[in-house]
Amino acid sequence: MATLLRYTPLLIVALLWELISRSGLVSQQMLPAFSDVLRTLVELAQSGDLLSNAVASLGRALLGFGLAVVLGGALGAAMALIPFVYRGIDPIVQIFYPLPKSALIPLVLVWFGLGDKSKMFLVFLGCLQPMILATFNGLRGVDTILGWSARSLGASRLEVVREVLFPAALPQLMTGLRTALAFMFLLMVSSELVIATNGLGYLIGSFGDQGSYREMFATILVVTGLGFAADRAFLAWSGHLLRWRP
Amino acid sequence: MTGSSIGIEIEGVTHGYTPRSGKPTVALDNISLSIRPNEFHALLGPSGCGKSTLLFLIGGFQKIQQGRIRTARGDVTAPGPDRGIVFQNFALFPWKTVIENVRYGLEKKGLKGSEAEARAKHYIDLVHLTGFERSYPAQLSGGMQQRAAIARTLAIDPDILLMDEPFGALDAQTRRIMQEELLAIWRRTSKTVVFVTHDVAEAVFLADTISVMSARPGRIKRLVQAEFNRSDDPHIHKSPAFADMVEQVWDMVRDEVDQARMQGH
Amino acid sequence: MMRLLARLSPIVVLLAVWEGAALLHLVKPFLLPAPHVVAGRIWKDVISGQFEMNAALTLYRALIGFAMACLIGVPAGILIASDRFVRWFAEPLVSVGFPMPKIAFLPVFMLWFGVYDVSKIVMVCFAAVFAVVAAAEAGTRGVDKFMLWSARAMGAGRYQLFREVILPAAMPQFLTGMQIALPVSLITAVAAEMLMGGAGLGGAMLAAGNYADSPGVFSGIVQTSVVGLVAVAGMTALRRRLLRWHPEFNPR
Repeated sequence: MATLLRYTPLLIVALLWELISRSGLVSQQMLPAFSDVLRTLVELAQSGDLLSNAVASLGRALLGFGLAVVLGGALGAAMALIPFVYRGIDPIVQIFYPLPKSALIPLVLVWFGLGDKSKMFLVFLGCLQPMILATFNGLRGVDTILGWSARSLGASRLEVVREVLFPAALPQLMTGLRTALAFMFLLMVSSELVIATNGLGYLIGSFGDQGSYREMFATILVVTGLGFAADRAFLAWSGHLLRWRP
Repeated sequence: MTGSSIGIEIEGVTHGYTPRSGKPTVALDNISLSIRPNEFHALLGPSGCGKSTLLFLIGGFQKIQQGRIRTARGDVTAPGPDRGIVFQNFALFPWKTVIENVRYGLEKKGLKGSEAEARAKHYIDLVHLTGFERSYPAQLSGGMQQRAAIARTLAIDPDILLMDEPFGALDAQTRRIMQEELLAIWRRTSKTVVFVTHDVAEAVFLADTISVMSARPGRIKRLVQAEFNRSDDPHIHKSPAFADMVEQVWDMVRDEVDQARMQGH
Repeated sequence: MMRLLARLSPIVVLLAVWEGAALLHLVKPFLLPAPHVVAGRIWKDVISGQFEMNAALTLYRALIGFAMACLIGVPAGILIASDRFVRWFAEPLVSVGFPMPKIAFLPVFMLWFGVYDVSKIVMVCFAAVFAVVAAAEAGTRGVDKFMLWSARAMGAGRYQLFREVILPAAMPQFLTGMQIALPVSLITAVAAEMLMGGAGLGGAMLAAGNYADSPGVFSGIVQTSVVGLVAVAGMTALRRRLLRWHPEFNPR
């Protein structure tokens, strides 16, 4: 009941959408009615097109994301714990910092063509940096005396890293993961709009080109829903992991 | 009790550091100090006198640049569970409950399961935190967090208890209660305590011996025997002898505070 | 000076290895053109005015959209923070909008606003506004209530409270939101240009990619980075200027 009340504004927006479209204020071309879009969404889902393209999109995006999390986490940790690694890698991370990630789309096109690999690599590159930065800043920001406490309670240096530094850096790590997740969706869709032969982004673009606007809006709804669901699930998981926080 | 005749021997310790932007500073200048086993020793001085630095050197957290620090177990080179420490800001692990915090050091000693649980419970009871075992630090008041930190340190049964302004972040009432409880625990467990503070009355109330330290460079200006901590009188605070001693030590400290203020602290 | 050189040395090493690999034909020039080839290409674009024109176009689209996002987002965030009804209405919309890949709406904006600048600018604004709203809301909510009380006690009215207390007190957070939104604006502008083609850094890069002109792709990446760097540096300078009074820039 509380949830329903909470999300009532979304219903109101949908209702407004329906009214504006039905009233003829704008043409049905420009804004197909919400109910029509929903019906089209069901049809698309039944035809199986939606599922196969969603699987294609999410499969490669999650692979790139996972790779970035593992490698970015390891690099960030190495930078935080080993001064030599920091001196070697930090300047390189810094010069790539201001690069708008979408500028890498033509690069992965040249390197990997139109197939799965190009999008996977793009998501990997885009998510790498937030993961490196979050891990590095998280570990660096841990209060020194927490480590001292553990040492005086008998922990070895390695145990301090594993049992104190990482749990203490967890809030920052989770923030970095959430940022990377948003980047994943953004790069997934934008690369598929520009260079792809399948996937949800490709579907949106090609429906738009064909003038199948109901289908286009329906697919956008799906992408929006996926992004929202992923974020909510992530927040719930992170809230559970960080339940010790005030 | 270790039975050894030395508590902590500090010989000619000099320590300096260079801030990121600024000139090198001598924090401790040729400190020598002998602390007996089971002695309650207070390091008293204005901020910036290096008293915390000296404590961290005894703890083995910072490298000794010059001089030597020995305990009954030999030269101090690294942190170890023979020297427990309690920090002003508690330094509890915020992702562990109270009992998990207390168990941490016990598990490092190799205690497991119900044995560790029982021992942790005992120390939680000792500091009057019974009933809060499953709370996270963020759910407790400052005073309760500091009790948990003290329990965690006492549980590993260190020979030496290092305390860095442990009651500095607490309100006045809580601080007084904690001081009395600390004395009670100290009497029962007979540990060597090194207690850093800038509160004159606290030092006089708690310590056998007070090292009055001077501001930069940090030196030990005077050693004062207080020993009100041996008294059973619950109203020792109000005795004229106590007030005289506070006044006397305060006079020693005042010059240093003035000097420290002129140096911009 | 020496310290700066030492800091830059990994980049020099990277460039040297890259150049060496290209000279020794260890990699196909098509996949990884030598740095001197890329540098030559950038120089050519600068001389011909191509770079300046594309950069100006991209920056124009990104910055107008960004400015719109700030003008809408900051007041919206303040309103959401201070009015319960507005908060009830806007919160679920923001929680859906914040994580969604906004770029998916680009075909919609093309449909509504055509294929020229308006749709790109609206796209940038839409992509950037959520970060600004979220930061502005958090900033306003975080204003110390004692500060508000003391201002009220000194007789400040509603408008004065807003202008003289909330705005400066929440300024660090407002600026943080903008600092997140600015790179988003650039990413979106470049992506929109790629999808819609034509002039601008994104369009030029995608054309290079489609013609398998890899020096063009690499020089485009460098050019876009430079534009990003200038924009981010400008934002940092603005923060420094506006927050002169803040502890952040007055370390003890």
